[in-house]
Amino acid sequence: MKFTLNWLKEYIDLDLPVDVVADKLTMLGLEVDNVDELYQELEVIKVAKIIDVRPHPDADRLSLCDVTVGEETFQVVCGAPNARPELLTAIALPGSTMPGGLMVKKTAIRGQESSGMLCSEKDLGISEDHSGIMELPDISSPGQSLPEAISLRDTLIEVDLTPNRPDCTSVIGIAREIAGFTGQKMNLPVKNDLPKLNGEGVPFSVEVLDPEDCPRYAARLLKNVSIGPSPWWLRKRLLSIGLRPINNVVDITNLVMLEYGQPLHAFDFDRLGGSKIIVRRARGGEDIVTLDGEKRELDQEMLLICDAEKPVAVAGVMGGENSEVMDSTKNILLESACFNPLSVRRTARHLNLGTEASYRFERGVDPELAPRAMERAVQLLVEIAGAEAVDNGYDCVAGIAAREIIKLRVSRTNDLLGLQLNSMEITRCLESIELQVAQADDDTLLVTVPSFRVDLEREVDLIEEVARLQGYNEIPTTMPIVPMSFPEQQPGLELRKKLAAMLVSQGFYEAINYSFVDENYFDRLKLNDNDPTRKAVTLLNPLSEDQKIMRTMMLPSLLQNLSRNTSRQNNDIRLFEIGKVFHPVVDEPLPNENMRVAGVLSGRRHPGSSLLHFETAAVDVYDCKGIVESILQEVRLSKVVTSVSRNEASTVPNYIQPDSYIVFQTVDKQLGALGKIDNDVLKAFGIKQDVFFFDLDLDMITDIQPEPKSFRQLPKFPSVDRDIALVVPEAVGAGELLSAIDNAREALVESVEIFDVYRGDSVGAGNKSVAITLTYRSAEQTLDDSTVNKVHQRLIQMLEKDFQGKLREAV
Amino acid sequence: MEQELLQLQAEAETKLSTLEDLKDLEELRVRYLGRKGLFTGLLRQLGQVAAEDRPRLGKLANQIKEDLDQKFTARKSELAASDIGGAEGRDDLSLPGRMAPFGCLHPVTQIMDEVCSIFIDLGFAVAEGPDVELDYYNFEALNIPKHHPARDMHDTFYINDSILLRTHTSPMQIRAMEKERPPLRIIAPGKVYRCDSDITHTPMFHQVEGFLVDRKVSFADLKGVLAVFCQKMFDQADIGLRFRPSFFPFTEPSAEVDIGCVICRGKGCRVCKQTGWLEILGAGMIDPEVLKMVDYDPEEFSGFAFGLGIERIAMLKYGIDDIRLFYENDLRFLNQF
Repeated sequence: MKFTLNWLKEYIDLDLPVDVVADKLTMLGLEVDNVDELYQELEVIKVAKIIDVRPHPDADRLSLCDVTVGEETFQVVCGAPNARPELLTAIALPGSTMPGGLMVKKTAIRGQESSGMLCSEKDLGISEDHSGIMELPDISSPGQSLPEAISLRDTLIEVDLTPNRPDCTSVIGIAREIAGFTGQKMNLPVKNDLPKLNGEGVPFSVEVLDPEDCPRYAARLLKNVSIGPSPWWLRKRLLSIGLRPINNVVDITNLVMLEYGQPLHAFDFDRLGGSKIIVRRARGGEDIVTLDGEKRELDQEMLLICDAEKPVAVAGVMGGENSEVMDSTKNILLESACFNPLSVRRTARHLNLGTEASYRFERGVDPELAPRAMERAVQLLVEIAGAEAVDNGYDCVAGIAAREIIKLRVSRTNDLLGLQLNSMEITRCLESIELQVAQADDDTLLVTVPSFRVDLEREVDLIEEVARLQGYNEIPTTMPIVPMSFPEQQPGLELRKKLAAMLVSQGFYEAINYSFVDENYFDRLKLNDNDPTRKAVTLLNPLSEDQKIMRTMMLPSLLQNLSRNTSRQNNDIRLFEIGKVFHPVVDEPLPNENMRVAGVLSGRRHPGSSLLHFETAAVDVYDCKGIVESILQEVRLSKVVTSVSRNEASTVPNYIQPDSYIVFQTVDKQLGALGKIDNDVLKAFGIKQDVFFFDLDLDMITDIQPEPKSFRQLPKFPSVDRDIALVVPEAVGAGELLSAIDNAREALVESVEIFDVYRGDSVGAGNKSVAITLTYRSAEQTLDDSTVNKVHQRLIQMLEKDFQGKLREAV
Repeated sequence: MEQELLQLQAEAETKLSTLEDLKDLEELRVRYLGRKGLFTGLLRQLGQVAAEDRPRLGKLANQIKEDLDQKFTARKSELAASDIGGAEGRDDLSLPGRMAPFGCLHPVTQIMDEVCSIFIDLGFAVAEGPDVELDYYNFEALNIPKHHPARDMHDTFYINDSILLRTHTSPMQIRAMEKERPPLRIIAPGKVYRCDSDITHTPMFHQVEGFLVDRKVSFADLKGVLAVFCQKMFDQADIGLRFRPSFFPFTEPSAEVDIGCVICRGKGCRVCKQTGWLEILGAGMIDPEVLKMVDYDPEEFSGFAFGLGIERIAMLKYGIDDIRLFYENDLRFLNQF
């Protein structure tokens, strides 16, 4: 809601400085968004008087004007048709800056000296009028600044209104709030008693068929209107809040709407068929061309204003072209009505058509306002547009519901607010904003709410008013007294934090990406057409194509981040994200939301660390695997989760290089995976270096029982190390040897570790030598050679047999 | 034998003094002192020398081995030091340490964790809900029926007529109250979505919703809890706090809460638009209609609720001027926190 300080002063004597007013309004819940001095940039524009005008010798359309801004007379070249002697107009003198930023200079136009520029309203940003230079009233004197001469100086105030205060969608409504705290009386434009409107003897009729959607409909006829531009004071009002003046009739209806908050509509009476207004719901298949020239299909829930033959307006939203007031209009029918907020809102939504009128009706217009605003408009039309008002009119009020008296308990008020007010104080508060209060008993007040406060319906609404008027900052600050209880935290939250901390300690930065992504990620990742990952939740109204579907995987966004970073010369990248992916579930309204942790690694193994200490080697798949392994170990899941490398083409997703894919799984579920990103995919994301990723199901990790912590006695006897170097075929995974030793469950084996893998001529082509250290220990005794040898030999035989291995030598 | 031992020693020492590389040094060590090295091989022959010479030669062999061991170690640290330029074998401590730098959490996560931990310390439980939400929980049950102008306050992403991306974390009020009876103290952090994108809006952002329901909970209690929160969050015991009337359909009375500008300390600056105040959260007493939706008797129970935007706080705390930076995940941004 925009208004100016001068406008406000029409209704209330105000000598408070503007910042005090703004602050007060803000603290009353009418948040002042902006305070702006208007037209300050026009202070440099002066009033000039044209002394003489003669044609430009070398240009048909230009003339030479002798002008003065006080004493001396100088020449200005001008192209305006209305330049004439004695005219007072606006001039930008050399050295002054126009509102658009143009600096005016003394110059020559087609060889003729021009010391300044005579301005149109458009030149000065006052209006769109560019038909000629400004014509200023005679009372202004040459040399005066323009804002002073035509009283442009004013302060614009912009209030960010909450939807519960439709009464403040009007300048009078704002003035009333101010009167509430200054205790002043308001000076309202319509002072007389309103004429009784009963429809007798008027040459038209009004019929409201749907009083529920149209609680009130008032109409009056105005004859012999002369349509023309509005007087300056009216145009200035509208211009000051950024509204474009149209003609006197439209400007008056706009002014009254802004003043009172009552939308009005003027019909060309002579274009209303049958001199009749019928308010009814639309019939199937009806349509109307609205004032904006659009053809609107209507449905049966929309309320229409019709004449005897056809719809002439969409009620509360916009008028129809077929009854629009035109320059030739003689007689107008003025409508001032109250429509049901829900009905108007629904219609405006369905037609995708929001207007100043619908904005107000949707929020609720005071049903008592219609005849008063009508009277104000009629008076202005008579005064400004020379209209003759037909004495009587219609005022159909069948739909107005009586307002109930609201009970307000003093105790309840104090309990809810934490205050200790008595009934007197509460009464005083409420009466300051025109509520009527009667005392029913010690604790109960009976409150009658004025019609303009459509938002006050319940006891709690009144309690809020008390709080608001007392001032929220007058309410004490206390701590709640609540029985002690143990708060059960969201499952998985702690684990999530722990994982994040581990990754951070491994040099990872956390990324957060939008939950919605580009659908074409699936193609960039080369997913098969029937890949279930392609099934995604789709937004009906995405902001852009690349934010269209809810992500079903973490990887694409991270690759996008990686690409962005490498293109900005950040090549050493460790990024992770903890977030949700979304999978539609058949027959369920809501998708499955799965929390995951995923990361990408690329670039040097030791980023951010001096080359002095570390070589520049790039990360490889073991870095990636090691990270996942250490996480699993730290959350005590390394015993339950096994890693399997997959390389059969059918099981490796297309976006991963087949020989680099590792799946982490429990007995029955896949927990996640890691691998190296396929080169085509990297290209599709504009990445020019190797990238490794991991992706784990955090919900699943949360659900799996970790290995409990339990103490083992510290060993009392020394351990014995024995090494094996086993030559095995390439196809055998070195890790399989470890698992085989583990699975043999030899009691004396304490630990086993691979310390070297060797390939070379000495072990034969297609083979490799895996060197393993076994550590033996007994809890009961110091082991002797023969005991160890027995077990060791057993293991060697097992490995040789199961893996076609050959002992290379005892190292 | 004695001759061979001494020769081996001399040979090793010469080579040791001439080599310049740590890798060569290790090779040399294995060659002479390793388990299958030359020295070990020589010692194996000790059994074959005359019995009376054995103790003497054994002792000598051990001495030489110890001596060589020491020389290898000394040479090793010498080489290691010269490797990074230490003069005269001393460490140049002005060189950078051998770092394995940490990464860091996203600034939004850091602020979120801070906010949550303050409320956890006050006895609040953390509860999370779905991002894709039913219209019922996001609007209807929060006293925002279809065709209510308050829906204009939320630019909503829809999946279909009844399913949407939550526009605030307030639906958790309903989900939590449906499950439990008072007393309730819950905060609900999470991602929320609105179709809006410019320098101060991203289509996804983070909120924390908090609410407390019990008997006789008052607006004064709301002020108390939020005052503690703001003091802790901005680490300023005397932080200015201002409650302004506002409107949310699910609270009444409703308030917007300003803190004294943390940049200019209330004097007026660009960030607070010269007002000295920064809007930081929305709050209010839970509307009786909302309590009725979950079968709480508003005559028996009352409660307060509040919601705050994490990005806004992060921007204030760290002086970030463009919200979109949060979601570009540029390392040059991320590594500043």
